[in-house]
Amino acid sequence: MRIFTNNAFYLFGINDFIYHIYVKKGDVNVMKDIYPVLAPQLASILQLVQADILGAVTEIRIRTLKPLMLVLGNEDIMLSAAGQVTKSSHEAYLCTEDDLLKTLQLICKNSRYAVEEELRLGFITIKGGHRVGLCGQIALEQSRIKTFKHISGMNIRLAREVKGCSQKVLSYLFENNQIVSTLIISPPRCGKTTLLRDIIRNISKGIECLGVKGLQVGIVDERSEVAACQNGVPTVDLGPRVDVLDACPKASGMLMLIRSMGPEVLATDELGRQEDAIAVQEALHAGVSVIATVHGKDEKEIKERPYIGDLVKNHYFQRYIILDNTPKVGTVRRISSGTGKVLYCL
Amino acid sequence: MWLKLVGSLFIIIAGSLLGFNVAARYAERPRQIRQLITCLASLKAYISYAAIPLPEALIACTGGAKGVISDFFLKTAAILTKCGWLTPQEAMEQALQVPGLVLEKAEVELLAVLGANLGAVDRIEQEKYLNMIHEQLQQLEIEAAQLSARNSKMYRYLGICGSLTIVILLV
Repeated sequence: MRIFTNNAFYLFGINDFIYHIYVKKGDVNVMKDIYPVLAPQLASILQLVQADILGAVTEIRIRTLKPLMLVLGNEDIMLSAAGQVTKSSHEAYLCTEDDLLKTLQLICKNSRYAVEEELRLGFITIKGGHRVGLCGQIALEQSRIKTFKHISGMNIRLAREVKGCSQKVLSYLFENNQIVSTLIISPPRCGKTTLLRDIIRNISKGIECLGVKGLQVGIVDERSEVAACQNGVPTVDLGPRVDVLDACPKASGMLMLIRSMGPEVLATDELGRQEDAIAVQEALHAGVSVIATVHGKDEKEIKERPYIGDLVKNHYFQRYIILDNTPKVGTVRRISSGTGKVLYCL
Repeated sequence: MWLKLVGSLFIIIAGSLLGFNVAARYAERPRQIRQLITCLASLKAYISYAAIPLPEALIACTGGAKGVISDFFLKTAAILTKCGWLTPQEAMEQALQVPGLVLEKAEVELLAVLGANLGAVDRIEQEKYLNMIHEQLQQLEIEAAQLSARNSKMYRYLGICGSLTIVILLV
């Protein structure tokens, strides 16, 4: 596997819009956010894992009575109780129900009431912006998901800040020195949020090489992933001109920010619902540029989707950035204008 | 003669102190239950209004006050912060070792019920549980106050009179 053979360093560089991943020995700082939320048994196993492996982890998979698994890019490995990589599921450490329960307790600080909305959506965002996806048996109330009765699986997706990953995209986001509304489109795990975060950081700081001064940016961070807020304060570097509405529904949050904070740019993650589309329209009519992300293949596919499709059909966005994960996560496949003109193609 | 006098004095002092001590426990119990009710009412507000996570809510609900009940909540919060994999019930059981706590079996059982449900359900259910615990604690407070009124004086007198009786019998 390339990430193991390459022991240079962990670096997200940009070479023709491909963020190359190299593994740096000991670059495991991100795990400091993860150990405190893992059940003691799981945390002690992970602490025994080699640093170069930990540096390349993108996901930690925990399933009841199944091997403890680490995902490294497009590959996964199983761990033994001694923290060694193993190919045999007999030698692997089998996660127990207790491991999952204790991990959930640690994630929600023994307070399910504090994360009831997140539980309904099926994931909780923890310190550092890492997303913990949950799976198990659902409890319904009047055909609506109420909560999880039992948790049988967890996927901890590590969020890594990649400063500079938007560098070459930035020049496409301006027309006559004015920022244009942009939609970042890709399937899950292709680096949408990472790219959005870096775009925000650059816009907020100002881009000297393009002669653009810093702009006031408002972020509606419904899932606490973009700004990774703790007690409402961002824990990642987003530059000096950012206001964050944390854990706030996108639609009402965008309108709140326009009224209260007067942003020049609004940024939000994962549009989807009808009210999101209405709020984007409101923001654009109010003269505020919007930078958002959405799950999908490309703008043609998005066009067929309800609500968000209308935004594409009516040319509300002036740029579409299409990402995918081949050959690497974060590859910019294409950049198009709102009228369909291709500005960049890999 | 002097020896008898000093000995009698010691018996009277020891007996009286014992009586006063037992009486003080009876007087202290309703006071601690009242403090518990106040803290739980505050905890309910922090949970149902602001959905503050349990360790922070347990600290906030004491309102910076000093006292045994406040120490109990602060210790529970400290245990949950340090060992987050423990359940609130386990943390409360450990925190019950706080010195000066005079709660009886009935209140401790109620706290165990509270700990078993604390943090494990949503806000609405949490509020229901806390209301139920609140009502039962109020009932216990009334009983404890009645018991205190009845027994406090009795144990004080019993301490003095009992020690005097011993002295008379021995002399």
